[in-house]
Amino acid sequence: MSVIETVNLRKRYGPLEALKGVSLRVEKGQIYGLLGQNGAGKTTLIKILLGIVRLTDGEARLLGEPAGTVHVRRKVGYLPEDHQFPTYHTGYSLMDFYGSVYGVPADARRKKIPEALELVGIAGRMHSKIKTYSKGMKQRLGIAQALMHEPELIILDEPTDGVDPMGRKEIRELMSRLKEKGHTIFLNSHLLGEVELICDRVAILQRGELVREGTVAELTKQKGQYRLRLADGQAFPTDAVAALGYAAQPVAERPGLIEVALNEGQTIDPVVKLLADRGLNLRHLVENKQSLEDVFMKTVESAEPGVDRKKQRRGARPVGGKD
Amino acid sequence: MRTFVAILKDSYREAVDGFVVYAMLGLSALLILVAASMSFTPAEPDKAFGTIVRQFRVIVPEKGRSRAFADDGRNTFSTADVQPSGGGYKLRVLVKAQQIASGSVVGPNGLEPNLSKGDSFRAAVFQWRGATGDTVRIGVDEKGNPQIAKKGSKGKGVDFVLPTESTPDELRAVTDAQMEEFIKGQFVTHAGMSATVTRVPETEPSYVFDVTTTGGSAVQGWPHTAKIFFGTFTLDDESPLGATLWLVEDVVINRFGGTLALLVGMIITAFFIPNMLRKGSVDLFISKPIGRAQLLVYKYIGGLTFMFLVTAFTVGGIWFVLAVRSGYWNPSFLVAIPVLTFTFAVLYAISTLVATVTRSAVAAMLLSVGFAFFMFVFGQIKANYDERRANFPDRERPAWQATVVDGGNDALPRMRELDLIIRRAVADGTLTPPMKKVLVQSDEPAPLYATFGVSLLHIGWMLGVSCWWFSRRDY
Repeated sequence: MSVIETVNLRKRYGPLEALKGVSLRVEKGQIYGLLGQNGAGKTTLIKILLGIVRLTDGEARLLGEPAGTVHVRRKVGYLPEDHQFPTYHTGYSLMDFYGSVYGVPADARRKKIPEALELVGIAGRMHSKIKTYSKGMKQRLGIAQALMHEPELIILDEPTDGVDPMGRKEIRELMSRLKEKGHTIFLNSHLLGEVELICDRVAILQRGELVREGTVAELTKQKGQYRLRLADGQAFPTDAVAALGYAAQPVAERPGLIEVALNEGQTIDPVVKLLADRGLNLRHLVENKQSLEDVFMKTVESAEPGVDRKKQRRGARPVGGKD
Repeated sequence: MRTFVAILKDSYREAVDGFVVYAMLGLSALLILVAASMSFTPAEPDKAFGTIVRQFRVIVPEKGRSRAFADDGRNTFSTADVQPSGGGYKLRVLVKAQQIASGSVVGPNGLEPNLSKGDSFRAAVFQWRGATGDTVRIGVDEKGNPQIAKKGSKGKGVDFVLPTESTPDELRAVTDAQMEEFIKGQFVTHAGMSATVTRVPETEPSYVFDVTTTGGSAVQGWPHTAKIFFGTFTLDDESPLGATLWLVEDVVINRFGGTLALLVGMIITAFFIPNMLRKGSVDLFISKPIGRAQLLVYKYIGGLTFMFLVTAFTVGGIWFVLAVRSGYWNPSFLVAIPVLTFTFAVLYAISTLVATVTRSAVAAMLLSVGFAFFMFVFGQIKANYDERRANFPDRERPAWQATVVDGGNDALPRMRELDLIIRRAVADGTLTPPMKKVLVQSDEPAPLYATFGVSLLHIGWMLGVSCWWFSRRDY
């Protein structure tokens, strides 16, 4: 049973189609990252999962049950983007309130609230009014309230928004610990570096369509590109390599580094053998990787070059759902 | 239940977060303090009993249960030998009655009245015990001048009993026990005081009764001097205690204080639902394991609870200090707590609907206050129309007027009737029946089932639409 499963999920707001047949699956224990530009449909997708927004068509299931039911929401912790906690609460009383709504008994609440607030680093201010909290503290409180009832699935929408770099690291570590404890985390974030660091799988939404999906390694891998360097003073045999059917060219910004492009079905082994046969000493050989940010930018650019233009453009091929 | 309590607590926190609630509580505390500053000094027993028994000439037939009364000025009541006894008093009530002439007879001095029929005291006892008989209603005409209303009229006015005919035999048949019962009944009617009465032999048409009252001076009809601000200003000099309490509880607290409390309550609670529906807040609420309709109804009940607590504090506090200061512990005024809360429930249902649809506290506030004002105006129009319809039933009126007034009354919540229920409860608890007949208009109907039933339907309808709207919206 998948923790999250959507099949051909669609949402229409009047003439605007916010989700165009999104199909994805999140398995237990994963940290799943959802990426996309503003307005791509990420928050709509999350809201459908929680019953905040009704789906127009398709199917959405959480933990094997229809998404959004009262029963299944009991098993989910949620931190919304741009959340506004009632400022008349203190951190403690807010946690107590939400804990009560989740059905956590009073004794358990008394024990868990300080623990959860300690976990996110604001236990020292738990009896202060929320109106006195900084944005980062509110964000930490938001994470704490999403965790306190030990949910099976934690949905975090921009959890590190407003949090300083140290705090972000702590939140990343917290997510890793939660994953180790068996929680599933569905993460929506603009901070691609963080997503790359902690997510097992990533999906990219573009204009309501799921355009890329896979593990971080799968998405960031650049098939058929290697960079290599020979020992100092040795010249790279570009012509001989070209004669083997490989394109090789120096990397402009990195003197001495050569980039070799492989065609379909080729491996790097013949090039390595050629260099060895010629007595050249290989000092550096690595398959090219790109950052998640590169992947995202390329995906988004290919789907919609230039975000300011509003007219419909040719999108990238969606992974799930129909075109 | 845990969720319900959690949301109630949340509403409480929200309510007490703003300064308005402290202003409201401060105002309530001030009212309680003002009430506590009142003093009620009972008149001396001699004087008090004199005042009370002088009112015995006013007779309410059906042993005090009739809606009409008669003022029989032929009997003069007075007291003597008033002495404290136990918790009450012992006194003598003296009645000087007049012989009733039944035609004339030829006597030693020529033509003299035939006094064989009996006297006015026996006639009073007979009338007090008997059926009401014919009445005449003294009301006002359209220009406000007093006039005798038509027979059978149900318009505003006071009903007076027309003199009833009694035969000499009937008057002679009035027993001592019936006279004692009459005097005892008059103490209840005019003073709210219980007494044991024994007739002392005396030549008629004079009557003497030994009376022992129970309880002290803290009864409705006992004259008191009421002062306020710890004796600085005199409010009422030797008015019946009940009348002063009625003035404070009904006129000052219920009408002005109640209106103010409803107004401030609407302002404070108008923020509850729009705050919940704010972007960034509504997501948090809806994502929790609670149905939307349930959430909205709980929030609504949270608002009501807040109002109930404020009303209970204010009304309960004022009732308590007035009771302590006056010694009069009748709980009728406490009816204002649930009824004012129910009145607020009607208005808050409007506020909830507007808030759910518009997500604006200002719109909720303006429309619910506007609705309260509309209901006040409609109530006045209906009362006025009903009175004219009752007083002048033959007058031709456009059919649409009746349609609008009666249709509106059937469809709209019964705010005026709710107010009448409080006012009548306060009057019942503080005023003696004759005082009530003069001070309180009691002809306007305020049937309990219809008043609460129609108002409850209104609340249900408003909340139903609110829940339906809230449940189908995307946030």
